[in-house]
Amino acid sequence: MSATVSLHEQTGNEAHAPLDDKRGLFGIWLVIATEGCLFVTMFSAYLLMGSSKYRWQTNRPPKLGYALALLAILVGSSIVLMVGERMVKQRRYFASRVILVITILMGLAFLGLQALEYLDHWKTLTPDTNAYGSIFYMITTFHAAHVIVGLLFLGYVLFIPQYEPASNSPHRPYQIASLYWHFVDVVWIFVVIILYLIPHGIVYGL
Amino acid sequence: MSTATVEQRLLEIWEEPKGLRGWFATVDHKEIGKRYLWTAMIFLLVGGVEALIFRIQLSRPDQAILSPEMYNQLFTMHGITMIFWYASPILSGFSNFVIPLMIGSRDMAYPRLNAFGYWSFVLSGILLYIAPCMAQAPHAGWFAYAPYTSAMYSKGIGMDIFSYSLIFLTISTTAGAVNFIVTILRLRAPGMTISRMPLLCYSTGTISCAIIFSMPALSVALVMLELDRQWGTHFFDVAHGGNVLMWQQLFWFFAHPWVYVIFIPAMGILSMIFPVFCRRPIVGYPYVAMATVLTGLVGFGVWMHHMFSVGMSNMAMSFFSAGSMLVSIFTPVQIFAWLATMWRGRVVLKTPMYFAMGAVAILVIGGLNGTYTGVIPVDWQVHNTYFVLAHIHYVLVGGNVLPVFAGFYYWFPKMTGRMMSERLGKWSFWIMMLGFNVGFFPMHLLGLAGMPRRIYTYEPGLGFGNLNMTVTVGSFVFAFGILLSIINFFYSRKHGEIAGKDPWHADTLEWALDSPPAPYAVAHIPTITSRNPLWDNHDEFYDPDDARVFDQGREVPASTWLDAIPLGISQMPAPTLAPLFLALALFVLFLSLTFTWMWAALAGVILTFASGAYWAWPKREEEGARA
Repeated sequence: MSATVSLHEQTGNEAHAPLDDKRGLFGIWLVIATEGCLFVTMFSAYLLMGSSKYRWQTNRPPKLGYALALLAILVGSSIVLMVGERMVKQRRYFASRVILVITILMGLAFLGLQALEYLDHWKTLTPDTNAYGSIFYMITTFHAAHVIVGLLFLGYVLFIPQYEPASNSPHRPYQIASLYWHFVDVVWIFVVIILYLIPHGIVYGL
Repeated sequence: MSTATVEQRLLEIWEEPKGLRGWFATVDHKEIGKRYLWTAMIFLLVGGVEALIFRIQLSRPDQAILSPEMYNQLFTMHGITMIFWYASPILSGFSNFVIPLMIGSRDMAYPRLNAFGYWSFVLSGILLYIAPCMAQAPHAGWFAYAPYTSAMYSKGIGMDIFSYSLIFLTISTTAGAVNFIVTILRLRAPGMTISRMPLLCYSTGTISCAIIFSMPALSVALVMLELDRQWGTHFFDVAHGGNVLMWQQLFWFFAHPWVYVIFIPAMGILSMIFPVFCRRPIVGYPYVAMATVLTGLVGFGVWMHHMFSVGMSNMAMSFFSAGSMLVSIFTPVQIFAWLATMWRGRVVLKTPMYFAMGAVAILVIGGLNGTYTGVIPVDWQVHNTYFVLAHIHYVLVGGNVLPVFAGFYYWFPKMTGRMMSERLGKWSFWIMMLGFNVGFFPMHLLGLAGMPRRIYTYEPGLGFGNLNMTVTVGSFVFAFGILLSIINFFYSRKHGEIAGKDPWHADTLEWALDSPPAPYAVAHIPTITSRNPLWDNHDEFYDPDDARVFDQGREVPASTWLDAIPLGISQMPAPTLAPLFLALALFVLFLSLTFTWMWAALAGVILTFASGAYWAWPKREEEGARA
């Protein structure tokens, strides 16, 4: 009876049964799915409010320079972190910690530059100027909050004592934190496209 | 190794700590499931009493027992309490207690997250009930339409508490959903392929996915509302380019899937009960499973049917009307499967079966008048009248309350080891049915006669008086029926008949365990070869050389999501206070945001991260590690 799957047959001796260390990964994917929907909802709100309002077209689109520089920093940090993930797999734990430090510094640079961008924009646009200001600052601030969470997440991984596979959780902390960081990065790509590039495209008649 | 020593060792590993600390630190899904159940029942009673108070006000024309503002606060608290703090958590309670046992596991996938879900559910409920204690409860109905909720029209702290306690609850619910999905997909016993899974797993899995994708819409809408109310933004302010209807769009995009969240798992409970009391496997298992998933999916495409009267394009109206009709294809698939199961089986009339059959009868009425309201001209006629109230109460009593009582009578022996009184149970059932139909059927007539919902009184000459008196009397009878079941519960807990392992001769795995189950649930992880494990010839627990005991720490086997082929061992965490700390930290955060104590809010954020780090900090290998 092939349907009678015996765990014993499948895994051999119980003492040597492999450890299931992917529960956390499964969970973080679901967290990313639901947090992704948070941003999808805000983008929908942005498009819904903008679609029926001629008023938005007279708004000057936000400056592109900052957004692109921020994009470069964040995408760069993701690439750096991918190298770190590979090093964990190769068991080069010290190097992977160094790379974590670099990623965190890049994340802090992102926040610093975004603060400068806010200072610049604040002269012409605040959250209580109009609904456009409200949604613009809401989306970018939510993203910044996610960057901060991601940084705390990475900082936690930086300080935990060991990356070796262990029987106790957290399993694969580096990979899980990296996944979250990549998610934060991907969200910024959509922020740049929807909040910055498309309005500029409309201005230039594209 | 003899069996006795295996069980002793497992008990040593899985036993929860005693005492006060142990009570707060437990991560056992059985304990947490039971807590969900009684906490949600308390919310049911509170919400019910609120309804009875305003029913007294409405029983006669021109009564002045309640002021209009108090009336508004009461019906709003009734709606919020029932829909958010009773209807979903009570189903989480059942799924929490039953699903790990049903799939032959020893706990949920994330036991600590499970405890966190419970604590944040309780604390968010406490946050909500601060409002009525300050006599400033939310007063805008459970869907809180803007702009009535803006700072200009809703003064005081009520709407702020509404928003922040709900945001808090969304965190709890999302945590629960993540947990259920991973539990159902990864912790099934070897051989329990996805096509052999109990139907309750399908329904709970479906609504957990719906929660993952729809909850954020509510969170965003509530954050926008609070930004508008407290920080001067203009999301729902037309004068500054905002959009009032956006609240309705976001809210219903969340809330229609939510209607299924509080309804589909109850269908799952019925799908577990019908086969057992018809003495045969359910008819059309694959169709029921598919219909469950498809109902959850279609639930995302019907939200605008709550908004037909706001004005939209014909295209949109046709689309959402058609989507609503589609629901009345998938739900009947399940209903016909139950009817066919009864027809082809030999019905055993015990109390759970009474409640299950009553649920179907009520649900069919609620489904039919729901199909009416999905037709746009009818919707325009009955929108915001008592007809809609009749619909929602028929659907939610037939699709939630009665299945929940069926579930209580069905699983009570498993939870406590004792049977509930059949005699009192059947009395309770008939009184509830009588009270409900006497109380809520006249609402159809009131609605068609034009009585709008959410008015605190009406004039004498309109002909509403007698019907309203009937509604009030019926609600009190209904409440009395519920009270009988609660008396039955407390009586049977002490004096009920001893149940034994399997009083109903049921088919699913939880009935093979002791009543109440041992902390480790199963001594030998079962293997499954059919959809009705206890009715087939295969001995699930046959394990002569103790190969499936897993007694080197808190261990649960994980398996692949489709074929349930063993993957490896999942290490489960030990009891810890971290989930309680995290929930308390979030309570501090949301409480201080409500009152805009920003320094306290910052402290809340820091506490949240501190308790998160304490939670996730790696335990040393010596502590309960594998040899």
